[in-house]
Amino acid sequence: MTTTLECEVTREQADQMTQSPITPALIRSEITDDQICVVTFDRPDSAANIFDRGALEQLHQQLDSIAADSRVRGIIFASGKKSIFITGADLHSISKCDDPRELEALIHLGQTVFDRIAGLRVPTIAAIHGACVGGGYELCLACNYRIATFDKATKIGLPETQLGILPAWGGSTRLPRLIGLPKALDVILGGKTLAPKQALKLGMVDELVHREYLLDYARSVLLKSNTKLMRRKVPLMVRLSNTRIAARLISKKVQPQLHKKTRGHYPALPKALEVVTEGITRSFPGSLELERRAIVELAQSSTARNLVRVFFLQERAKKLTVGVDTGKTPVRHVAVIGAGVMGAGIAQWSAAREIQVLLRDVNPEQVGKGMSSIAKLLQEGVKRRVFTPVEARAAMDRVVPMAADVPLRKVDIIIEAAVEKMDLKKQIFRRLDELAGLKTILATNTSALSVSELAAATLRPERVVGIHFFNPVHRMQLVEVVVGKQTSPEVVSRAVRFVQQLGKLPVVVNDSPGFLVNRILMPYLIEAGHLFENGASVENIDESMLEFGMPMGPLRLIDEVGVDVSNHVAETISAHFSPRLRTPSVLGSMLNDGLLGRKSSRGYYLHDKKSRGTDVNPHVDKYQKGTSAAALSRDELRSRMVFLMINEAARCLEEGVVSEPADVDFGMIMGTGFAPFRGGPLRFADEVGIPQIAEEMYKLAHKGEAQFAPCRLLELMAARQEKFYAATRI
Amino acid sequence: MSATRLVIVDGVRTPFSKMGTDLAHLGADELGRIAVSALLARTGIDPAIIDEVIFGCVAQPADAANVARVIALRAGIPEHVPAITVHRNCASGCEAITQAQEKMLAGRGSIFVVGGTESMSQVPLLFTMRAAQKFAKLSRAKSMWQRIGAMAAFRPSDFTPRIGLQLGLTDPVCGLNMGETAEVLAREFGLSRELQDAFAVESHARALAARDKIAEEICPVYPTLNVERARGKTSGTVMEDNGPRKDQTLEILGKLRPVFEKRTGTVTAGNSSQITDGAVALLVMTEQKATEMALTPLGILTGYAYAGCDPTRMGLGPVFAIAKAEEVTGLTTDHADLIEINEAFAAQVLAVLKCLRSDEFAAKFLRRSRHVGKISKERLNVNGGAIALGHPVGATGARLALTSLKELARRQAKRALVSLCVGGGQGAALWLERPQL
Repeated sequence: MTTTLECEVTREQADQMTQSPITPALIRSEITDDQICVVTFDRPDSAANIFDRGALEQLHQQLDSIAADSRVRGIIFASGKKSIFITGADLHSISKCDDPRELEALIHLGQTVFDRIAGLRVPTIAAIHGACVGGGYELCLACNYRIATFDKATKIGLPETQLGILPAWGGSTRLPRLIGLPKALDVILGGKTLAPKQALKLGMVDELVHREYLLDYARSVLLKSNTKLMRRKVPLMVRLSNTRIAARLISKKVQPQLHKKTRGHYPALPKALEVVTEGITRSFPGSLELERRAIVELAQSSTARNLVRVFFLQERAKKLTVGVDTGKTPVRHVAVIGAGVMGAGIAQWSAAREIQVLLRDVNPEQVGKGMSSIAKLLQEGVKRRVFTPVEARAAMDRVVPMAADVPLRKVDIIIEAAVEKMDLKKQIFRRLDELAGLKTILATNTSALSVSELAAATLRPERVVGIHFFNPVHRMQLVEVVVGKQTSPEVVSRAVRFVQQLGKLPVVVNDSPGFLVNRILMPYLIEAGHLFENGASVENIDESMLEFGMPMGPLRLIDEVGVDVSNHVAETISAHFSPRLRTPSVLGSMLNDGLLGRKSSRGYYLHDKKSRGTDVNPHVDKYQKGTSAAALSRDELRSRMVFLMINEAARCLEEGVVSEPADVDFGMIMGTGFAPFRGGPLRFADEVGIPQIAEEMYKLAHKGEAQFAPCRLLELMAARQEKFYAATRI
Repeated sequence: MSATRLVIVDGVRTPFSKMGTDLAHLGADELGRIAVSALLARTGIDPAIIDEVIFGCVAQPADAANVARVIALRAGIPEHVPAITVHRNCASGCEAITQAQEKMLAGRGSIFVVGGTESMSQVPLLFTMRAAQKFAKLSRAKSMWQRIGAMAAFRPSDFTPRIGLQLGLTDPVCGLNMGETAEVLAREFGLSRELQDAFAVESHARALAARDKIAEEICPVYPTLNVERARGKTSGTVMEDNGPRKDQTLEILGKLRPVFEKRTGTVTAGNSSQITDGAVALLVMTEQKATEMALTPLGILTGYAYAGCDPTRMGLGPVFAIAKAEEVTGLTTDHADLIEINEAFAAQVLAVLKCLRSDEFAAKFLRRSRHVGKISKERLNVNGGAIALGHPVGATGARLALTSLKELARRQAKRALVSLCVGGGQGAALWLERPQL
C-alpha cells in the first residue's frame, strides 16, 4: 500500500496554486509501507527533467510536506524517465535572463532547496539512472548517498564551465568537500561528464548497481544503515587537500596553466577556480554566496551567451530533420571506397557505431595501411577507455577489407573517399553505379570538387550526395551534407539521419566550391600565406589568431592539414573565385621543396618530436618575397584575416550555400574550431558592428587589396545598419 | 533441380602460414572469421538467410569454445543463425561439407556456410593432471598455512608442460604418433627415402608453379587488432602461402634427419606435411536454392564416403574411403579428371597409390576381386599438396574441395575426387562435379 503525498500537497497549497498559473505536477512523492519516501522527477510531455523555477518551487513544497511527515524514515530521489535523471538548470531561463536580480533569485532558490535536502533529519539517497548533469548532480551532492546504474545512458558531471558559467547550486561548494579539491577542480574546470565507472572511481557516486535493482537497492541501504549514512566521515585525503594552505598552493599552480591554455578568453575557468579554492576556506553559506556572485557576473558576459548558443546549435543539429521524413530505419551497411586517412577514419568511426563496413581500395597495400590505422585508432580508444577491449574487437570485426570488386547491392550508403581527382572519381562512381543496389546512396567525401558534376556521371544523380567529414574523423564532430543540383530530398534526409546515427553533427549545404567550411576557411588561409610572403613572421601570424581564440594559427593548420592538400584545395577554390582569391605561391614552392607539413615533419614548423615551443622552421624565410606586411601589428594582421572570413561567410549566405547565419557560425565553430566564445564569424561581426567592419574593409580595398572589398550583402547591411541576428534571438 | 543436392557456390581461404610465422598471432576464431567475412563480401549473400554455420576445427581454442559460433557472430552473421563445430580429425573440413549435405537431406536447412580453421601455432601447452590438481588445491587454500602447504607440494617436474600439439597428433589407441604410422607404411610398402623426397620436391614445384592460380582462392589477411592475445600489435598484410619453398632438391631434402625414427627412419620434416595456420570458408546450398538465386555454383557434391581402418596404418584411409565411395556412386578413379589425396606424408600417399592399384590388397582388405584404380601423377595433386602448402588439420578438407573445383573450372573438366587419411584410422572421399551449363 502506498500513500500519495501529491494530493495532500495539492489540497494544502490550493490557495497558492490558484494565484499562479497552474503548473502540472513535475514531481511525485510516494511513501511506501517501509516508511521510505520516493521522490520521482517526471516532467510530463518531455523526455527530460530540468530545473526551472516551477520545478524548484514544487520540490520545495514537497520537501516541506515530507519533512512534516513523522512517518518518513528516509528519502530516495529518482527519475521517471528512461534515460535521463535530471539534466540540470533550464538553460533558456539562464541565458534569457537579462536582469541580474532575477538570475540571482533563481540561483538563490536552487541553493535554498538543495540546502533544505542537505539539512533534512532523515537520510537521503540519490538513485541515479540516465544523464545526471549540472543541477541534477548538484541535487545528488546535497544527498547523503549516491547510487548510480552501470547503464550506458548514465552520465554524471558538472559541464557548466563549458557553457561559460560555473556550478552554482552548491556544486562548487559540495563537490570539493566530497572528493577533495584536486579531483573536484578536475571535474569542474574540465566541465566533465563521466561514465558511471569513472564517477565511482572519483567518489562522485558511492555505488553502482544494475538498473533493475536501483530502487530496491537504495531502499535496502536506507533500511539497513539508516543513521550511518548521516554520519559519514570525511576521508583523510580529502581533509588534507581541503586545507587553506593546500587550496592556495593548488590555486597558484593551476592559475597560470589556465591562462596559458585559454589566453583569458574563458573567464568562467579562473572564476570557478577562485570560487572553489576560496570557497573551501569559507563557511558553507559563505561559499554559496561566492558561487552566486560568480554566476551572476559570468552569465552576463557575451562569452557565456555565445557558449550557450553553441550548445543550443549542437542540440539543434542532433535533432535536425530535413525535407521528407524517411523513417527511422538505421543505416546498417556502408562501403567506404578508398582506404586513405579519410577512408580509414570514416570506416573506423562507422564500425565503432555498430555499422558493417566494407573498406575497399584498389591497392591491397593501401587496404593494409587503412586496416592498420583503424586498429591503431581502436587500440587508442581502448587505452583511453572509450571502448572496452571487447567493443574494440567487435568494431574491428565489422570492417571487411577488400581489394577486389564485390557486389554492393545490400549496402545502404557508399562513401567514396578516393584521391581528389575528378576524372578518377567519375570513373569510380560509374563503377559504383553498376555494383550498387537501386536504393543505395552514393556519397562522396570530396572536400572541394563538385557533387553535381560527379552525380551527372551516374545514372542516378538524384541518389548522389556529398557527405563531407573533416580530418581527423574521430575528433571532428561536424559533417557537411552537400546537396547536389539533382539530389533528392529523401536522399538528403537519409544522409542527415546517417550523420546523426554516427553521433556527428550535420550541416546541410548546397553544392558550391569548397562548400561551407573550406570556402570560408580558404580566404583566411590564403591571406595568411600572402601576409607571410610579404614579410609577416610565422609567429606573428599564428599568434595573432591564437589571441583571437582560434585553436591553432593558420600556418600551423596548413602544416597539420598538409601543404599539398591545402595547396590543392586553395587552387580548386581560387579557380572559382579568381581574381578575388589567388593561391599564394609559397604553397607551391614549399610543395616543390618537399615541405609538406607534419607528414614530412617539415613545413612552416619543424614537427620532429622536440618541444612544441619555438619550433618555427628557420628555413621558410627564403619564401618571403616582399616586406609590405612586415611592419603590420598583430591586430592588423588579425583583422585582415578575420575580415576575409566574415566577408566569405556573408557571401555564403548571399549565394544561399546555407540558409541561415546560424548554419554558418555553427559550421565554422564545429568544423574549424572558430573561437566558440565569439559565437562564429557572423555573430562576431554583429558584435563588432557591420558598418565598422565594412568601413575598415573599404580602407584596405582602397589601398589596392581588392580582396577586401565587402560583398553586396555586407554593403547593404552596413548601409542599413543591420545585424545578421535579430536582437533578442538566441 | 534437386532440393537436396549440395552445391558449392563459392569459397575462399586465408593464406596458409607455417606455424609460428605470419599468422601465428591469430587464433582459430580470428582466422575463420577473416575467411567467412571475405566469403560473405565476395558473394554478397545476405547473411540472415544462412541456415547454419558448420566449421571443422581439431584443436579448438580454449577461449573460443564452439569456435564455429564465435566465427559466425564475429563475421557479422546474425545471431539467429546457429553454428556447430565438427571434428573428424584431418577430415574435419570435409565433415563440415558433408554434414551440410546430410542436413539438407534431412530437410534441416538449405543454405550453409561451412569450412575449417586451425591455428596450430596456438595449440596450448598443458599442465599434467597431477600439477593441475596441485593448482586446484592452491586456489582453494584459505589460510596462509594452507597456502604455503599447497605451494610446497609442487615439484619442478610439475612445470614441464605437455605439448598439446604432440598429444593431438598421437593416436591414443595404438599409441603411435602420426609420423610413426607413416614410418610403418614406409617399412611395409618398401617406400625409400628417395621416393618420398622426390614426391616432396614435386609437391613444392607444383605449388610454386601454381602460385597465380592459387591466389584466386586466397583472401589476404590484413592487419587486425588482437586485444587479448597480442596486446594490440598489428602486423603487415599477408597475401600468400609461405610454405612452398623454391630450390627444393633431392640433395637438400636428403640432408634432413628423420624425425620419428632417428636411426632407420625415412620420414622427415621435408617429406611430411607442414604444420600450418589457416582457414577456409565455403558457401554451400541446395541446387534448387542456387537456381532460385540465379547463382552459378563452382561444383556439386555428388557422393562421399567415410571408412574406418587400422589406426596403426591410418595413412591408408583413402583406399578404404575411395572404394566405399565407389559402392555409393559407381564412380571409379578413372572417372576423375582430378584427384586430390591429402599429403599428410609422402610415404602415406605413395602407399595409398600402391594399395589402390593392388589386386591383392583389394582382395585381402576390401573384399573385391580387382584393384580400385590406377592414378597417374598427371591427375594427382596438380597444384601441389600439404607437403608444400601445409596442413592446418581442421581446414585442409575444405581447401581440397575448393582448390579442386577451381582447377576443374580452369580445365573445363568434369569430376574431381578428394580424399584424405584421418588420424585414428579413417579415410574420407568426396566426389565433386562441375555443373553442366
